[in-house]
Amino acid sequence: MDKCVIELKSVSKSFGDLKAVDNFSLTVNKGELFGLLGPNGSGKTTTVKMLTGQIKPSKGEINVLGINVLKDPINVRELVGIIPELESPPSFLTGEEYLNFVASIRKIEHAESEIDDWFKFLEFGNERKVLCKDLSRGTRQKLMFAQAFLHEPAVAFIDEPLINLDPIMQFKIKSFLKDYTKKGNTVFMTTHVLEFAESICTSVGIIHHGKLLFTGSIKEIKDKKISLEKFFLEKVNK
Amino acid sequence: MFWEMMKEEWRIHSTLFGNFAFSLFPLLILGLSFGFFLIYPYLVSVISVNDFWLLIHYLFLLFGVLVGGFGLLGKEFMNRRFGQESLVAYSSRSLPVSEWSIFLNFFFKDLLYYFLLWILPMFLGFVFANIFINAIVSPFLLLFSIFLSFMIGLSSSFILSSIYSYSSKLLIFILLIISLIFIINGINLDFLYMLPSYSLFINFSWTKLFYSLLIIGLLSFVSLFFLRVDYNPSNRRLNNWFNRFNKYLGNSFVSKDMLDLHRSEGGLGKIIFSFIFPLAIVWVLLFFFFSIFPAGNFFLVFSILLGIICSSMYSWLTEFEVFSSYEFLPVKTSDVMKSKLVSYSILNIVSIFILIIASIQSNSLNYLIHGFFALIVSSYYTLATTVYLTGLYPNVLIYNPKVMLSYLITSIPVPVLLISLSLIKPDLLLLSPIILIINYAILKLSLTKWDAWKKPGI
Repeated sequence: MDKCVIELKSVSKSFGDLKAVDNFSLTVNKGELFGLLGPNGSGKTTTVKMLTGQIKPSKGEINVLGINVLKDPINVRELVGIIPELESPPSFLTGEEYLNFVASIRKIEHAESEIDDWFKFLEFGNERKVLCKDLSRGTRQKLMFAQAFLHEPAVAFIDEPLINLDPIMQFKIKSFLKDYTKKGNTVFMTTHVLEFAESICTSVGIIHHGKLLFTGSIKEIKDKKISLEKFFLEKVNK
Repeated sequence: MFWEMMKEEWRIHSTLFGNFAFSLFPLLILGLSFGFFLIYPYLVSVISVNDFWLLIHYLFLLFGVLVGGFGLLGKEFMNRRFGQESLVAYSSRSLPVSEWSIFLNFFFKDLLYYFLLWILPMFLGFVFANIFINAIVSPFLLLFSIFLSFMIGLSSSFILSSIYSYSSKLLIFILLIISLIFIINGINLDFLYMLPSYSLFINFSWTKLFYSLLIIGLLSFVSLFFLRVDYNPSNRRLNNWFNRFNKYLGNSFVSKDMLDLHRSEGGLGKIIFSFIFPLAIVWVLLFFFFSIFPAGNFFLVFSILLGIICSSMYSWLTEFEVFSSYEFLPVKTSDVMKSKLVSYSILNIVSIFILIIASIQSNSLNYLIHGFFALIVSSYYTLATTVYLTGLYPNVLIYNPKVMLSYLITSIPVPVLLISLSLIKPDLLLLSPIILIINYAILKLSLTKWDAWKKPGI
C-alpha cells in the first residue's frame, strides 16, 4: 500500500514574474485519496497540469507511476485519467459518441458495455444521444468524469470534481471514489469543498501562494481534535 | 461593449506572438501594397488603366466575400463565436443588453478590425507608392470606393449565408438560377464594369454613391431579417454516427472532423461561402484577365489557383479546434495535425469535381490530367507551407507579420513555377508530381516542429 505513485521533487513553475508553484515536494502513495486544498489562485490547477504533462515545470522533477512526466507525458496520460477544471467535451459529438471517441483514442476494445455502465451509473437516460453543446454544465461534467475512468486508470487526477453536480450525483461520486481507492487505485484531486475533502480523503496537502504549507493524513488532523476547515484557515492565516 | 470587444480581439492575437509583432502587421500589409503599386506603370503598359482599377476593386470585393463567407454563417457564426464562454460576446448575455445589440457590436468590431488591419494599410501603401508612380487618382475617393467594394462583397456573402442558415434549399435554388443564367448567357464582361463602387471611382456622381450605399444597405437589411439569433439548446437525439464513420475511416479525429463539419450547420455553407463563391469570382476575374491579356492556358492557370484556394479548407478544419481539448488525453499535436491532413484530403474531392466541371466548361478536357496534377501539387504545397508556419492556428498566426511574410515568400515559388510550366509547355506539368516529395518533407518537418511548440506563457 505504501508504494509511491506520484512524486514531485522541488518543483517550481513561473509565469513571467508570477511564481505559481514554489519549490514543491510531495509524494502520494498507492491507494491514497489525496486532496490538494487551497484558495483560488494558489497553484492547485497548475500543479495538476504539471503532474499530467500539460505544462512543463520551470524546475524540478515529476514522476507518475515511475515515469518521468517531463520526458514521457504521453505515456503518463495513457496510464492515468484526468478531469480538467475547465475543458468541456467537443460541441458536435453526442455524449455517447464522445465516450466512443475517447475509447478509440485510448484503444479500449469492446468499450460499448463499459460505456453503457457509465451512462447507467451517471443516470444519463436519453441525454447520451444529445449533442454535448446542448447538455447542461452538470451533465457535461458527468461526461468528463466518465471519460477519465473509462480505461480504469491506476491513477486519476481530478480538478474540482464536484463542480456543477447535484447533491445526488455528488453522493454517488464520493462513494465511487472511496471504492475506487479501496481497490488499490490512487486519486489526486483538488477541491475548495473542505467538507468533501474531510469526508473522503485519506491525506491532504494545503497550498497557498504556490507554497506547500502542509501535507499529512486526515487522521493526523483529526487527532488534533480540530476540523479540517479550522486547520486550513489556520494554515493560510485567515 | 464595442471597445471591450476591440481590446479582446487584439489580445486574442497578441497573446500568441506579442503586442509589438501584432502591431507590425498593418505595416507589413502597407509594405506589400507599396511594393505592388510600384509596378503599376508596368502593369498599365499591358492592360488599360481602367481595367487595372477594375481588377483592384474586384479584388477588394473578393476579399469582402472571403471575410463574409468565413465569418458570417448566421446562426453558426453566433453559436461558435458567441459560444466561447470566455468572450465578451458570450458573457454580455447576462447583462441587460439585447442579443441584436451584441451582434451588431461584434459585427462592427470585425468591420473596423478588417478596415484597420487590411484596407487602410493597403490604401496607404498606394498613397506612398504614388509619390513614385504618379497615378492620377483621387486618394480619398479610392479609399472610399475600395471600402465600398469590400462592403459589397461582404454584404453579398452575408445575405447568402443568412439565407443559407434560414433554408439551405432556398439558397441552392437561388444559386442554381444564377448559375443557369450564366450558363445560358455566358459571362458578359461588360457586366463587370457595372460594379457601382468602380463606376463611382471612375466617374464620381451622387447618384452612383446612392446606388452603392443602397445595394449595401439592402443586402445587409435583408441579411439581418433572415439572420436567426438562437441559442436555445436542442434536445434532438442523434444516432451514434461516430462509430460508423470511425469504422470506415479508421481515424477517430477524422471521424470527429466530418461530424463537426456536418453538424455545425455550416457543412454545405462552408463549401459554398468560403470556397465555391470566391472561386466563382476568381473564375470570372481570370476570364476577364485572359480576355484583355490572352497568354497561356486559362484552364491550367485556374487549376493552380484552385489548388491555392483549396488550402482555405485547412482553416475550416482548424478554426474551432482547440488543442487544449485533447491535452488531458494521450494525444500529441502531430496526431491531430495528421488527422487534419487526412480530413483535408477527403474534402479535396470537392475540388476535383470542380476541376472536372471547369475542364468541361472551358473545353479543356484534353488537359484534365495536367490540371489534376497542377491542382494537387499547388494545393498540397500551399497546405504544407500553411501547416509548417501556422500549425493548428492558421487563423490567428497569419496575423504575425513574420509568419505572413514567410508565408508569402515561401508559398509563391511553386505556383509561379507551375504557371511558368503551363506557359512554356503544358505537358511539363505531367512531371510536377515530383514536387510532392518537397510537400511531404515540409509536412514531416511541420509535425516535428509543432510537437515541440508550446503556447507562449505556458
